[in-house]
Amino acid sequence: MTKVKFYGYGLPGKFPKEFPGRLIVLEGTDGVGRSTQVALLREWLESSGYAVTSSGLKRSMLAGKGLQMAQEGNVLGTHTNVLFYATDLADRLEREIIPALRAGFVVITDRYIYSLLCRALVRGVDRDWAYNVLGFALVPDRVFYLRTDLNHLIPRVLNASGFNYWESGMDFLHKGGYYENYVEYQSRVIAQFDAMSEEFGFHTVDATRGVHEVFVDLRDGIRKLIKGMKPGSPKVPDATQYGLDKQLE
Amino acid sequence: MAQLANGKPLPGKLFVVEGIDGSGKSTQLDLLTKWLIGEGYCVAFSEWNSSPVVGTTTRRGKKKQLLSPTTFSLIHAADFIDRLERQMLPALQAGAIVLADRYMFTAFARDVARGVHPQWVRGIYALAVRPTVAFYFRVPLDEAIRRIMTGRPQLKYYEAGLDLGLSSDPYESFALFQKRILQEYDKIVDEFGLTVIDATLPLTEQQEIIRRIVAPHLQGVLRSERSAWREALTKEQLYGRYLKEIGAERGQQA
Repeated sequence: MTKVKFYGYGLPGKFPKEFPGRLIVLEGTDGVGRSTQVALLREWLESSGYAVTSSGLKRSMLAGKGLQMAQEGNVLGTHTNVLFYATDLADRLEREIIPALRAGFVVITDRYIYSLLCRALVRGVDRDWAYNVLGFALVPDRVFYLRTDLNHLIPRVLNASGFNYWESGMDFLHKGGYYENYVEYQSRVIAQFDAMSEEFGFHTVDATRGVHEVFVDLRDGIRKLIKGMKPGSPKVPDATQYGLDKQLE
Repeated sequence: MAQLANGKPLPGKLFVVEGIDGSGKSTQLDLLTKWLIGEGYCVAFSEWNSSPVVGTTTRRGKKKQLLSPTTFSLIHAADFIDRLERQMLPALQAGAIVLADRYMFTAFARDVARGVHPQWVRGIYALAVRPTVAFYFRVPLDEAIRRIMTGRPQLKYYEAGLDLGLSSDPYESFALFQKRILQEYDKIVDEFGLTVIDATLPLTEQQEIIRRIVAPHLQGVLRSERSAWREALTKEQLYGRYLKEIGAERGQQA
């Protein structure tokens, strides 16, 4: 059961005390491998017979596309960025995540308010302000923090799409080029995640290891959380019981 | 004096108009704008729900009826903060006059009427600049509705507050929604010390009152150097052939 508890003022409307589903969050910095793990976990859970759904930033019906466009234009101010992402998350929470939790799904989300908080705080946004804005968020059952360090991060980024404007903090770090700013920005982000870890009760997973080792840790952690959520599988009746064997003769 | 949220004064002045639809606030602001520009002041104008950054999302949300009270509130806050960071604040820092057609009080009235927590939405707008003067155009509900209904028979979904499910009839829903908004505005007037203008007074009379209130704040405010480039052209005997390309002419109007 997911206790219906919000971080701040919450969402308007009536809610039961508990939802039958589970809300599981994967957090961690850019390029740490969250989306790979979400994809693996979703498949594993589905093939084990659970009702699963997944969600991630910028995927809301309302704000996903507009947010993507605004980011490509590099025109988003720091506070506007927080509010636009908050809009995206609130829309997914109300439209997808909460209905799924009410229906008894396991919901895995790639990032949650912690990434938004982290990015905001690193950029100097007032803490109380950011906490209030994101106070509509439901407290998840578990947050797995995929922790890595720069030495492991850089080769991954170079092998993938290279340095990205926002992931290098180019919008607010004005002194260096992409590489210097990337190092500076990601170091600050990781430090910020570390600092939030205790406050929000993250379960830290060492993500400097291989994909499979990380997966095994996550799978074992999730197994305990979802106990008893699988619909029972009735025994499939034997063909002989219906006399099918005779009919076939 | 316009002030940052932390109380630090800004060199510019911020005047805002608030009120429900049909209160005549935009007309009054327009008259004020023209007067101030005519007097040679540097005036920047900012209108609620006009940021290009979130505009497509807001339009999409309204058209497809995707907005909940929370996302409605957040997307309008994003619109506001974008205009604050990129339009209003820089102008105020430069010492100009900023005129805003609707300000955070619109969110406090409307979003709370929709059911979001009053303290949550006030917290979001805690970043906003405190206005020099905030005018609230008070109009009785039936008068506002009469004004809106003449010449605009079609009410939009969110405008009519149909998302609240108060009534399935758009006109009835609109009236109920506006009533709630008016009640919220009444609380806000006291809480934030808005300057109330009786919006049933004749148009020119209201404008005279507004100008009398605004005038004492205009001392030392930045005045625009009118046609600075025109003077340079005359002195140098140039035609300004390339000024159009850089938009200098438009820039002078702003």
